[in-house]
Amino acid sequence: MLGTTLSRWTMSYFAAALCFLIGAEALMAAGYGFPSAPLRAPETLLLVHLVAIGWLSLLVCGALLQFVPVIVARPLHNDTLPLPALLFLIAGLAGLLGGFLQLAGTFTANFSLFPFATAALATGFGLILYNLGRTLAAVRPLPLAARFVGVALISLVATVALGGTFALSLGLTISNPLALKIASSALPLHVVAGVGGWLTFAAMGVSYRLLAMFMLAPELEGGRPHMVLWLGTIALAVTILGGLALLIADASLSPALLAGGILSLAALGLYGADVLYLYRARTRRIIELNSEMTAFALVSFAAAAILALALAGLQRFSGQIGALTFLVLFGWLTGLGLAKLYKIIAFLTWLECYGPVLGKTSTPRVQDLVAEGRARGWFFLYYAATWVATAALLASFVLLFRLAAAAMMLATVAIIIQLIRTRLLLNIHDLAAFPAGVHRPHLLVCVPESS
Amino acid sequence: MTQSYVDLDVRPILRDGGEPFGKIMEAVAALGQDQGLRLYATFKPVPLFGVLEAKGFTHEAKEIGGGDWEVLFRRSGTPVKREAETAPATSTAGWPDPVQQMDNRDLEPPEPMVRILSALETMEAGEVLSALLRREPMFLFPQLAKRGHTWRGGLEPDGINYKILIRVGRPPDTAA
Repeated sequence: MLGTTLSRWTMSYFAAALCFLIGAEALMAAGYGFPSAPLRAPETLLLVHLVAIGWLSLLVCGALLQFVPVIVARPLHNDTLPLPALLFLIAGLAGLLGGFLQLAGTFTANFSLFPFATAALATGFGLILYNLGRTLAAVRPLPLAARFVGVALISLVATVALGGTFALSLGLTISNPLALKIASSALPLHVVAGVGGWLTFAAMGVSYRLLAMFMLAPELEGGRPHMVLWLGTIALAVTILGGLALLIADASLSPALLAGGILSLAALGLYGADVLYLYRARTRRIIELNSEMTAFALVSFAAAAILALALAGLQRFSGQIGALTFLVLFGWLTGLGLAKLYKIIAFLTWLECYGPVLGKTSTPRVQDLVAEGRARGWFFLYYAATWVATAALLASFVLLFRLAAAAMMLATVAIIIQLIRTRLLLNIHDLAAFPAGVHRPHLLVCVPESS
Repeated sequence: MTQSYVDLDVRPILRDGGEPFGKIMEAVAALGQDQGLRLYATFKPVPLFGVLEAKGFTHEAKEIGGGDWEVLFRRSGTPVKREAETAPATSTAGWPDPVQQMDNRDLEPPEPMVRILSALETMEAGEVLSALLRREPMFLFPQLAKRGHTWRGGLEPDGINYKILIRVGRPPDTAA
C-alpha cells in the first residue's frame, strides 16, 4: 500500500455544493417554498432537493472520495470517474429543479424534464457508488467508519430508486400500478433513506474517525459504536423494507415508521454517548474551531431527537415535520458540513502545497492557513440563526423565518469567504512561507504533487 | 512454474518524478498464469516486494549498474496472507538499528508527518528511523515513496499504537 494521495476533484465538489447552499438559503430568505408554500408544494420540493442533492450530497460525495481511501488504507478505485460523476449530478439536479418548476407552472414545455433528471442523477450517483463500492470491496475486514459508509451507500441506492420512481411517475412516464402506489405513498421512506440513511450515516461514520483524529482521542472500535451501527442499520431496514412491504399490502406505513423511529432513537442515544466520550477522552486540551463548531451540530442533532419525541408525545409530529426536517438538514448536517470543511480545506490545501517540501525547508503549520478568530463569530451567527429559524417554523412565524434565513445566508457567505481565503493561502502573510517548490493552489482542483 | 517474463521499464517515469505504482499493478494484472514480470527501476523497489508477495509473487533483485535495479517477479502459486496493517517492506532483516526513535503519539496531525520528514532529511542513506504513531500515516506513505525511502509499519501488540520503521533511501529522481 503506497498510501493516499489527494483527490483531484474534491474541491470542485465542495465549491459546487457551497454554491447550491447559498442558492437554497437565498430562496428561503426570499420566501420561496415552505413555510410560505405548503410542505408538499413543488416549490418546497425544489428547495429540499437543492439542499439534499445540491449541497449535502455533493459535499458528502466530495468528502467520501477523499476520505474513504484514508479510512480503508487503499487508493480510490478510479481517479478519473469523479469528474463525470459531478457533471452528471449537476445536470441531473438542474433537470430535477426544472421538473419541479414545470410542476409549479413556472414554465411549460411539451415534454417533462423528470425522465432526463432521473437518468442523469442515477448515472452520477451510480458512478460514485461504483467507485466507492469497488474501493470498499477490496478491503476485509472493513473498519468501523467504512461500515457506516457502506450502509450510507446502500441507503443512497434506496433513495435514488424511490426518488426515480417518484420522478418518473410525476413525469407521467410510468403507469405500473405498484410503481404508482409507491409514488403516492412512499415519500416518508424516501426521506428516511436519504436524510437518515445516506446523509446521516455517512456523517456519523466520518465524524467518528475525524473527531478522534483531530482531537487526539482514542479510535473507537469497541462494542458501543458497533451497537450504533447495528441498531441504525436495523432501524433503516425496518423502516424502508418494512414500509415497502406494508405499502404493497395496502396497509398504513405507521408501524414501520414507529418501529424504525424507536430503534433509531436508541442508536442516536448510544452515538451521543460515544461522541461525549471522544470529547472527554481527547488528549488535546485546546479544541480547534472545527471541533468546537461540530459540537453545536451535535447539539442540534440531539435537539432534533428530543423535538421528535416531544412532538410525538404531543401528537403534533406530522404537523411539525417541516420544522424537524429543517433542524436536521441545517442544524445538524449543514452545521457539521461547514465545521468540517473549515478543517478539511485547510488540511488538504496545506498537504497539496507544502507536502513536497516538508522537512526540506520551514513551512507554515496547517493552523496558519486559517484565521479562526474571524470565522468564529460567523459560525455563531449561523447556528443562532438556524435555531431561531427552527423556532419560527414551530411557531408558524413566517417573517421571522425569512429574516433568520437571511442571517444564515449572510453567515454562510462569510464562512465561504474564509474558506476561499484558506484555500488561496491568503491568511499567510509571511513571504518566507513560499519557498521554491511551493505552488499556489488552484481554487477548484487539487493538483497532485509533482516535486 | 514461470516460463516467460514480461518486461516493464519504469525508469523513465521515475526520472520524470512520476509514480509508477499504477503502471506496475496494471502490468501485473495483465500477466498470464505462466508469466512473470521483469521490472527495471532506478532504485531497489522494496515497497513493491510486499505488495506482490501478497499477490503470490516471489522476487529476485539485482543491481545492474548505474544505480539501476532489475527485479524478477515470479509466481510462487501461493499468495501470502498479510496483515491489513502491514506496510510495504517485506522484512527489516538486514536493516541497522534505528539511529533515531520518536514518539509522535501526542502530536496533532499532521505534526507527526512533519517531524518524521524533517528528521529523515538530516539522516544518511541506509540509516533507520523508528516512530510511534496513533494510526497508520496514510498521507505520509506517498511522501516516503517519492523520496525513495523504504518502510515497514504495523500495529503494536497493544492493538492501539502504530510503529513505523523507515530506512532512508535516495530520492528516485536523483538516482539517474
